[in-house]
Amino acid sequence: MLTYSQFAFVAALITSVLATIAYFWAMSAGHRALKQQAPQRQRVRVGDASDDLLDDDLADIAVPDAPEAPRYSSMSAATLARFATRLTWLAIAFLTVCLGLRMAVTGNGPFVSQYEFATSMAWGILVSYAYFEWKYRARTLALFVMPLTVIALAYAGTQPTQVDPLVPALQNSLLLTLHIIVAIFAYGAFAVSFAAAALDLWTPQKWRHLIPKPEVLDRLGYRAVVIGFPLDTMVLVLGAIWAEIAWGTYWSWDPKETASLVTWLIYGGYLHARVARGWTGKRASWLLVLGFASVVLTFVGNAFFGGLHSYS
Amino acid sequence: MSTSVRNRQEARSRVATRVTAHVPGHVDSVDGLDDLAHVEHGVDVLDGLHQPDKGHPHHRNQHPLKRVWLFLISMRTGLWIILLLGLLTLAGTLLIQATPEARADEQAYAQWLAGTPSERYGGWVGILDRLGLFHVYSTWYFQGLFVVLSMSILACSINRAPKLWRVATHPRTSMREVFFTHAPLRATIDLPGDVDSAAQQVRDALRGKHFRVLDGTAKTGADVYGDRFRWGPFGTVVAHLSIIVIMLGFVVSATTGFKDTDFIAPVGVDVPVGHNTGLTAKALSFTDTYYENGQPKDYVSDLVLTKDGRQVARQEVRVNTPLIYEGVWFHQAFFGIGVDVKVSENGKELFREMVPLKWQSNDGQQSIGQFEIPEKGISVYVIQAASGQVLKELPAGTAQFEVHKDGVENPLGWPVIDQGDSIDVDGLTYTFERNRPYTGLTIKQDKGSWIVWVGSALLIIGSYLVFFLPHRRIWARVRSNGDGTSRVMIGAPLKRDPAFEPVFKNIVSSIKTSDS
Repeated sequence: MLTYSQFAFVAALITSVLATIAYFWAMSAGHRALKQQAPQRQRVRVGDASDDLLDDDLADIAVPDAPEAPRYSSMSAATLARFATRLTWLAIAFLTVCLGLRMAVTGNGPFVSQYEFATSMAWGILVSYAYFEWKYRARTLALFVMPLTVIALAYAGTQPTQVDPLVPALQNSLLLTLHIIVAIFAYGAFAVSFAAAALDLWTPQKWRHLIPKPEVLDRLGYRAVVIGFPLDTMVLVLGAIWAEIAWGTYWSWDPKETASLVTWLIYGGYLHARVARGWTGKRASWLLVLGFASVVLTFVGNAFFGGLHSYS
Repeated sequence: MSTSVRNRQEARSRVATRVTAHVPGHVDSVDGLDDLAHVEHGVDVLDGLHQPDKGHPHHRNQHPLKRVWLFLISMRTGLWIILLLGLLTLAGTLLIQATPEARADEQAYAQWLAGTPSERYGGWVGILDRLGLFHVYSTWYFQGLFVVLSMSILACSINRAPKLWRVATHPRTSMREVFFTHAPLRATIDLPGDVDSAAQQVRDALRGKHFRVLDGTAKTGADVYGDRFRWGPFGTVVAHLSIIVIMLGFVVSATTGFKDTDFIAPVGVDVPVGHNTGLTAKALSFTDTYYENGQPKDYVSDLVLTKDGRQVARQEVRVNTPLIYEGVWFHQAFFGIGVDVKVSENGKELFREMVPLKWQSNDGQQSIGQFEIPEKGISVYVIQAASGQVLKELPAGTAQFEVHKDGVENPLGWPVIDQGDSIDVDGLTYTFERNRPYTGLTIKQDKGSWIVWVGSALLIIGSYLVFFLPHRRIWARVRSNGDGTSRVMIGAPLKRDPAFEPVFKNIVSSIKTSDS
């Protein structure tokens, strides 16, 4: 069964790579199509490109019937984008199979080794993204989300895949499952917020007209944090409960604990800075990038810091 | 054309204002602002945002106490504290931190400092140490930041809660016309009936969507106000106060109860727990099992607690299943092998205990324990081959006793003794009685943890209230058209609540359809 799980993993990796290519291709097709159109048409599109997360302008002007914004500039771009979405769903399906089969073999959640956790994380990122794409049609987020997924999967691919039995400290299936599954969704949401921020910060000028307006990206990033932050709080609390049971203390300033606290503080700071001090745009985006850097550090940091979480 | 461009710019700037000002759980200031400002500005619940300049320390002419207050309620303060805490915890993660044992006394600390930290940080060790960066979490400034943060959170909550309360319980129920022409969500409907029936239609539509409905104070026509989730914004107060509760829990944990991380229970031997518990712990057995690949599978101590000679608890203690008795937790923490040692002088017993072999030699070949007989100035290292090691000079079933005496440089002797045998060194008889396994427990009584859990629950509940139950408010203005029909103007702020827009549209269309 593990062999099939491995097949599914490879399939997911290939599908993710293909989806990434498809998303970029769709973007570039859209770009070309726009260039061919009359200048004034282009001007209209500047504001309302591919994404239409409840546009404030629309909401302001026309409450009863907000006109649907044209989403893709040409059939080929739209077709490619739809194709990319299908590929993303397929990648989620493959990863689900991969993780499901592995769970059937190990009898516990696929969160124990770096391989398992990185694969689960990729799954979490894809699911979070799929939700945002479905809810806000924010396809351009994929330009950063998909490479991130591919990196997570590639990293998982370099890790040993054998099934290790659970060491005594991890033998608490309820808390293992809850603590990590919540973490996966929290980090998945943070990955989406990172993608929104990265699009805002690092999209070259000549592609700008293809991505959502900065305000929309800003709001997307915010929505993702609004989902991720309470989940991250739960990760910390569940971790503390588990630590109380297994280690005898709910907080011991273990490097991984501390790194997650830093992550939590950064996103907490982001919410406050944005809400109360009006930090939007570039500054808020940088905070989101910083927050996600902290997530990554929390995840891979054990390799450098050791500590009580040394098995994960 | 130019007009429309300007309008668009205005619209954009208005959008920008709203983006920075409206937040879920954060309430618009209602009183004292005109209706348009009400649309476009928001006040953060826990921030002095709309008196931001007052909160700025540049206001030197304020009364000192007032300045302290303004400092505490300023979001800038909170953000700086979060930033500093983040940086310090990052430093604590990146820099190696001294263990409590290493910090137990100055000598141990100096020794610790000369070890890995000096290797890793070289000449920086002195500065880093002076800054307290090898024990960041116990420095005065780290803990001081938490105190200031608590005060700031408390001040912000006190500052804002009354306004939230007012908005929830005594909301403004009437708006002037300018509000309805500028609100982010707005609609105008002409209804055939008179003002009363039109207002009733509005009320019914709002109630149909589970809105609370209040009537305004219109001189002509009718004003209707509806809202939902009016307690949601209190989530911010709950979430912020919960941080204080959690910190309080940390303080209670640190200052009351006890924690013994180095409790050694030799198998079959009664060991008093101490700390005024009156308990005695005895491990009837300890078992460590391993998987085929050598990874540990299970550590189990069969633990019995007695009080006043009576057994009060017995449980198999595993890593994830501590024994809990009267608030005292017994955790499986470590284990090892000890040596039962007897020391006597002319037949008189001076020492008889199990000496745990807690340390390993640097090459990993030997396990080492140590005991002292203070009245004789004697200190003895007990050495055995480490598990799995075969040493020619220290075969299985033997132990080496390296005897030191205060003031004497070289050991007095280092005999290797067979199990069950005795040897005399400097007038004392040392007996290696037997090997005995021991289990290591962490025993603690934590009176603060329940406070932390209550705080954590509040934090989660508060966050969800803030983010997922945003206060939704709708104002309606019903006026007669003078021809038997009525005009209903409806407006609502959007805030960061995209899901509100469809609800608003729904209400608008249900007002329309109830007419037909």
